[in-house]
Amino acid sequence: MHFLYFDPGLGAMIIQAIIAAVAGFILFSKNVMYKIKLLLGLAKEDKDDVFDDIEIKDSDVENKN
Amino acid sequence: MQSKNAHSSSFRDPSGYIFTDNNTIKRVINPIYFKQYKALMSSGFFDSLIKNKLLISHTEVSNTDDEIIIEPEQISFITYPYEWSFNMYKEAALLTLKIQKYSLEHGFSLKDASAFNVTFYKGKAVFIDTLSFDFYTENSPWRAYKQFITHFFGPLLLASYHGSQQLKLLSNFIDGIPVKMVSSMLPSKTKLSPLLYTNIHLLAKLEDKHNEDYEGKTKTATLSKKGQLNIIMSLYDYIKKLELKETSEWGNYYNKTNYTDSAFKTKATVINNWISEIKPSNLIDIGGNDGTFVRQINYPYTESLVCDIDNNAVDFNYKTIKRNKEDRMLPFVLDVLNPSAAIGLNSKERSSFLERMASYSPDVTLALAVIHHMSLSGNVPFKESAKFFASFSKYLIIEFPKRNDSWVQRLLKSKADFEDYFGFYTIENFESAYSELFVVKEKIHIEDSDRVMYLLETKN
Repeated sequence: MHFLYFDPGLGAMIIQAIIAAVAGFILFSKNVMYKIKLLLGLAKEDKDDVFDDIEIKDSDVENKN
Repeated sequence: MQSKNAHSSSFRDPSGYIFTDNNTIKRVINPIYFKQYKALMSSGFFDSLIKNKLLISHTEVSNTDDEIIIEPEQISFITYPYEWSFNMYKEAALLTLKIQKYSLEHGFSLKDASAFNVTFYKGKAVFIDTLSFDFYTENSPWRAYKQFITHFFGPLLLASYHGSQQLKLLSNFIDGIPVKMVSSMLPSKTKLSPLLYTNIHLLAKLEDKHNEDYEGKTKTATLSKKGQLNIIMSLYDYIKKLELKETSEWGNYYNKTNYTDSAFKTKATVINNWISEIKPSNLIDIGGNDGTFVRQINYPYTESLVCDIDNNAVDFNYKTIKRNKEDRMLPFVLDVLNPSAAIGLNSKERSSFLERMASYSPDVTLALAVIHHMSLSGNVPFKESAKFFASFSKYLIIEFPKRNDSWVQRLLKSKADFEDYFGFYTIENFESAYSELFVVKEKIHIEDSDRVMYLLETKN
């Protein structure tokens, strides 16, 4: 059940399938590029990066340690 | 449904509302949201987000069949999106995506993606709307997707292409910058980027087309979870790399000021001595640039707010905070000549900077090298700036650059024929105007400079 108290935009709902397909392609090609760079030894770490990765640690996993 | 006096910002979501009880913010959860709340609590979902410092923690105060009341960890000063620097805004956007990804993987989904759901606390962006989560329905698109674009992605793109001033737009567009507007403001070359083309330009087009669909005849859309995760991850990657295409006017301020090393040290010592006498628990630095002087303070205060008009200086400060993992400084953008107004429903939904300042009530205010900008660039009479500062705190540490100071001379020269009009800018006039509202506790001339430091205390 959703409590919809703002307009999600009909267009925005329909278009997500297209965006997702394009996003899938972007992610895939990026991954390929990264692997190529890795092979050629061109991949580098961004040292000035202050932001984390998207992954979140599960607290369950933490507790087991 | 709202038996308690709901906070003026809390009316959109029927799941519950926040209210103030003896200066403590609490949240009522309505029965309509019990199922979600219990699932979020018992599955360890909340726990995990809280442990990772992504969601504000809370304790349950009461639990009946009619309502559950929770008390979130109290945040002393709430900043709004239009007060964030570029990288703060970026972090808030990334936090929202991160939480949505985690939600999807655990059977939930963010039902809204408002930028006002995030604020900054202890040197990090934190999600503050505990009731924003709902169960994920298999194969449904993200309902908050458009909101994410209008609240986060759009403003960030505009800032990246046209400068960080664009981030202030959200104070006029409280529910996000319309996609059509973002699309029209971006350079046409952005249409060549598959990600920008689909997420902005195509979205704007489709939104326009479906606006005409008053009968809601269009069939409901479906999207696999994998598809939704792709959108989220591609946006995350893109936003993480987003940079400003401008450099700061103030970025290297301390390299071009008229301070010799010894004068800088004297100034820091003077401030330190006064601060350790006042023993503040919280303080605000108006025009604090990149936080340089607040970092010179040795006294163990609890929290400092450091604001500046320049988004880039605030951003520089924020990056320093992140790098050093500092947790007691809160930087934000403030234009003293136009502090954030109260906006939204009844002009009460988001409170003004001055209202928030009144309830924050810092123990001491620092105004270092600000008065000449207020007086000479902003044409603010001493009487008015004194009134402004007197409303903040009991103590004011203010620096006055004398007429001979090179920076003052530069500002005066820029006035050309009107230079004489600014004859009022003298230390005597400053002292007499400020004496109306303040008592001068101490006054120290900084050697090797044309600057004077004052420790002032408000009368009565």
